[in-house]
Amino acid sequence: MSAPAAAHYTSTGLDSRKIAIWAFIGSECMLFVSLISTYLIYKGRSIVGPFPHEAWTSPSGQHFKPILNIPVTSASTFVLLMSSLAMVLALSAVQNKELPKRTTGDRILGSSKLWLWMTALLGTTFLGFQAFEFTSFVHEGLTIRTNLFGSSFFTLTGFHGAHVTAGVIWLLTLLAIDYRRGLGPKDALNVDIAALYWHFVDVVWIAIFTLVYLIK
Amino acid sequence: MKGNSRLRQILAPGLIIMFGLALAAGAQTYPNSTFQPHSELGRYIDFLWNRLLLLGTIVFVIVEGALVYVIFRYRRKGTETEKPPQTHGHALLEVTWTMIPAFILLFIAVPTVRIIFKTQAKVAAGALQIEVIGHQWWWEFRYPEYKITTANEIYLPVGRTVNFKLNSNDVIHSFWAPQLGGKRDVIANRTNYIWYTPDSSMKSAVWNGFCTEYCGTSHAKMRFRVFTVQPAEFASWVAGQQKPAQYGATVASLPGGQATPVSGGEPKTSGVGAEGGNAPAIARPNGTPTPGSDTIAARAPTTGAVLASLPAGYTFPRNLPEFEYAKPHTPVPGDLHFTPGLTGVAARGMQVYSTAACVGCHAIAGNPSSVGNIGPNLTHIGSRSTLGAGSFPNTPAYLALWIKNARKMKPGIIMPTLGLNEMDPVQKRIIDKASGGLDDQQIADIVAYLSSLK
Amino acid sequence: MATTALPTTGTLTAAPAYEGQSGIWSWLTTVDHKRIGVLYLFTALTFFLIGGLEAEIIRLQLQGPNGHVVSAELYNQLFTMHGTTMIFLAIMPLSAAFFNFLIPLQIGARDVAFPRLNAFSYWVYLFGGIFITLPILFNVAPNGGWFGYAPLSTRPFAPGLNIDFWVIGLQILGVSSLAAAFNFITTIINLRAPGMTLMRMPMFTWMSFVVQFLLVLAFPVITVALVFLLFDRFFGTQFYEIAAGADPLLWQHLFWIFGHPEVYILVLPAFGLVSEVLPTFSSKPLFGYPVMVYSGMLIGVLGFGVWAHHMFAVGMGPIGDSVFSLVTMLIAIPTGVKIFNWIATMAQGQLRFTTSMMFGIGLIALFTIGGISGVMHSSPPADLQQTDTYFIVAHFHYVLFGGSIMGIFAGIYLYFPKITGRMLDEGLGKIHFWVNFVGMNLTFFPMHFSGMLGMPRRIYTYDSGQGWDTFNMMSSIGAYILAVATMIFVYNFLKSRKHGAIAGANPWGAGTLEWTIPSPPPEYNFAVLPTVTSRYPLWEGDERDAESARINSQEGKTADELHIVLPYNTIKPMIVAGSMVIMFCGLIFAKPLIFIGAASMVVSLYSWLLSPLEPEHH
Repeated sequence: MSAPAAAHYTSTGLDSRKIAIWAFIGSECMLFVSLISTYLIYKGRSIVGPFPHEAWTSPSGQHFKPILNIPVTSASTFVLLMSSLAMVLALSAVQNKELPKRTTGDRILGSSKLWLWMTALLGTTFLGFQAFEFTSFVHEGLTIRTNLFGSSFFTLTGFHGAHVTAGVIWLLTLLAIDYRRGLGPKDALNVDIAALYWHFVDVVWIAIFTLVYLIK
Repeated sequence: MKGNSRLRQILAPGLIIMFGLALAAGAQTYPNSTFQPHSELGRYIDFLWNRLLLLGTIVFVIVEGALVYVIFRYRRKGTETEKPPQTHGHALLEVTWTMIPAFILLFIAVPTVRIIFKTQAKVAAGALQIEVIGHQWWWEFRYPEYKITTANEIYLPVGRTVNFKLNSNDVIHSFWAPQLGGKRDVIANRTNYIWYTPDSSMKSAVWNGFCTEYCGTSHAKMRFRVFTVQPAEFASWVAGQQKPAQYGATVASLPGGQATPVSGGEPKTSGVGAEGGNAPAIARPNGTPTPGSDTIAARAPTTGAVLASLPAGYTFPRNLPEFEYAKPHTPVPGDLHFTPGLTGVAARGMQVYSTAACVGCHAIAGNPSSVGNIGPNLTHIGSRSTLGAGSFPNTPAYLALWIKNARKMKPGIIMPTLGLNEMDPVQKRIIDKASGGLDDQQIADIVAYLSSLK
Repeated sequence: MATTALPTTGTLTAAPAYEGQSGIWSWLTTVDHKRIGVLYLFTALTFFLIGGLEAEIIRLQLQGPNGHVVSAELYNQLFTMHGTTMIFLAIMPLSAAFFNFLIPLQIGARDVAFPRLNAFSYWVYLFGGIFITLPILFNVAPNGGWFGYAPLSTRPFAPGLNIDFWVIGLQILGVSSLAAAFNFITTIINLRAPGMTLMRMPMFTWMSFVVQFLLVLAFPVITVALVFLLFDRFFGTQFYEIAAGADPLLWQHLFWIFGHPEVYILVLPAFGLVSEVLPTFSSKPLFGYPVMVYSGMLIGVLGFGVWAHHMFAVGMGPIGDSVFSLVTMLIAIPTGVKIFNWIATMAQGQLRFTTSMMFGIGLIALFTIGGISGVMHSSPPADLQQTDTYFIVAHFHYVLFGGSIMGIFAGIYLYFPKITGRMLDEGLGKIHFWVNFVGMNLTFFPMHFSGMLGMPRRIYTYDSGQGWDTFNMMSSIGAYILAVATMIFVYNFLKSRKHGAIAGANPWGAGTLEWTIPSPPPEYNFAVLPTVTSRYPLWEGDERDAESARINSQEGKTADELHIVLPYNTIKPMIVAGSMVIMFCGLIFAKPLIFIGAASMVVSLYSWLLSPLEPEHH
């Protein structure tokens, strides 16, 4: 009879939130697998253009270029990748909040506000790219209603964009807390969970970028 | 407790025996049975079914037997002095009863895969091709080889393999004639096939077919008929169907339908054709349709000025008692009536038909104004046995009501309500002259015209 | 430890050991897993009655040929809602009632990992259930069948509100199931008491654990399918638009990738409950525990690889048909192992035929029939004669009624004393069992015959002379008998809640952890976190189990006296859930509601997340 009567005894020693976020990410994987599979299944099934990688001339003689803009999207992909790096630095800054900061470098690396801002800004930049991409597609004649490609493309990338948006809001919330009372090692888990989510969303984009944009 | 267990023991096999007896008692009374296949596909399936049933029964007896044995053998008697043996498992036993089902499944898996590949192989050359197009809620059948388009009934020569090419025009349907073989879904943007050969030893017969994928409001009334006939009869039918529509004009009038008494206090009158007059006269087929109500003019020979010279091809004889199951018995809505005693004139009917809404949806080869392709092709509607995809017998009496207000007779359908002063149950409004309402005389004329299209 | 100084006597009471926890407000704000479990139980039983009523009307209509009790339109709504209600609003939440009530008790935890999220799951379920059920009163209930095949469910073929309610309702219910699944996975992984290793967990917890993974992995797939349908219906996308070249099978694949695991989501909890019932009333441990665990996991894994056996008629081609057929047959093996192990659990035992035991044995007897007919349509050629006929209806009712419902009844009779502190009437219970057993078989056994004799499912009427009249009459009479059985149960349930005999901590002499604490359990469950040394602490445990059991069985102590910190009650999860449902309502009723709901949801969510779960520790 020597069970610890602590209120927050856990069998694994891990905080429950950490386990829950992994379960959540597992679930999200299935969500994106379904969305990406649908996109791939419908690839080449559209009756009318515009198409992602092929030019198309409509029956009325209107000409459409291949619609995907790989260089621009490569840039936005790079931005999103960099945001993951910033996220890593933000987490490390929170975890090491109480370590002494000797150099300017230490102070820069140790600024959780800076890196959270950086992550959020890079994420927002990515969203800006996406907004630009969506508007130019609409101008070129591809909407969510145009064809199967439009429906599955906008839904897939839109869902991803919504996830990035949610992530940015999450980061801004952490920033608000940081400004109000400062994030310290005891908040590391909260930031860690946000970081896990952020990296996951990033990885999903790598899959989308490869399967949707790069593979013809 | 003891009584309860015994009750259970008696009950389960008792039920099975009861149903088995009920089944054996009247093979004839199960016209859509899957247990009497009439094609090679049907027999393949039946072979698998028999094996599944046998192995399933063995497993059932073993499991339920073991369960019943354990229930009786290990009941607590209240005299036990110590706890039962606290066994936690037995590796050998558990391996055994993992292996046994696996072994049994082999006897199912092997023939299953063999039969899958056999029955889904490419169809033999020379098979009769039939294109099946599913619509909400009727069937379009095309014979590309003979350039025939018909609806809701198929004629098949016995002994010749038939390959159904299945497509849908709208939602998903499923094509199934249980006595002939399995079903296959009918899907838009996707072509499916199913083929089988009606037994050559069969005498000419009719089978019921069903849509078996839920497809909306009147899914229950998306039926069809398959006539498996002798090759010569089939050839004659084909010849008849290949001709453009012909109609005979009509003559006589008939005051009032001939009343046919029906037992059971059901309403009675039925439309009856004039033997001498050759015209379909129409009365309401009140309540449950009466047997014989389609002996009316629809089948009487037509004579008259415009009588076509070509004879109609073979059609399967109606009212054979052994095929009673293929005749619909759907009651007509109580508030749908038709003026009794009207006589239709086919020539006039053709005029009305060709200028009314009908031609927007229906095609009749030989009638240049009738080229619609939304509803069933009516070129030989007079030769068909049912209306509304197996919902009603195709007699003048039913046809008149159908034209008057089909939406009351079959919920949800596109066929509009045409009768003057009728309530359209979909649009919820009364049909007036301005919106193309037809009075009963006009409808009677159309009926005369259509019924004569053999 | 200080706690060993607790008084060692306890009196038998059936009064809830909750301080100041009564009145409606306490139920609206509760975050206690047991009370949420009770809420689930009552709500799900109510929906079970509604789904049953829908079934009774269906059977009235089909009692004879050319029935006209209801119109075609209403009939189609009734069978759609009967399926949707029984699956999403009755059986799943009945299982959830047990997840909630039992899992923390079986693993020795104070509550679930996220008590407020748990409350949120319940309120989303309740509001979603009301959302999807109410329309039938206005003749606009969903009417596309419970699997809502596209394109029938798309706007061109279903212009009304009916399918809108269905799409949105299922999305809402999905949120509830997913939130609950994250919660229970975390709870089971992380909140097991010391010594409660995975391989000591009670079988119900194990099967529930498997189910949570199925939920987490299967629900996103139907979410995507529903999102496509929602977008098609509201925003003009073309996922299921035939004219745009869409493949109608996209829906079927996505739906059944969810739909088949869903079958195991429905039946595994019942398997778990029966695995508690049989050892208890045989006075023997579960036979082959590790094999039972692995077979449950194997069923779950294989469950993701067999979805296309619902689609043998769609023309997948011989290779697809063969592969899915063989994997489907494989599932029969772990399922068969479970049946044999249950029988072996009973063998050599001392069987007590309580009502719970009878329902448990009923599950074995009836599920076996469903399993056998399942193997019959694992063979695609044979399935071509069976699919979409009443044979299938018979099959899945033997699985879901003979399996899930029988198991759930076994569980209710077993755990009612733990939940309420009072016994259900055993005499009425046995009458309930026998009437239910006869009614169930009379309803569903003849359907095997009507199906093989050619009767398609989902027809609102049939013609006379088709050879189906007798079997349909039998089924209808059976259904009326089932209605009587259910009334007996409802009477027993309501009566015993107030007047049943006092149960005591362990009325059945069961062996697992939940029976070491008083009935009903105190708010904090365990006065001390138990130490577990075996699978059946009350039967096989050593002195450490006995000591925890002795302390935890004591009654009358409040959490304060024991210095146990409990979470605050809060209304916020309910407000978030309500706001979310209002937001969804906006899609159908008035666009501004979308923004009002969303704003209210964000505000209440932040308020929830920023407020502490429980008082600071001392």
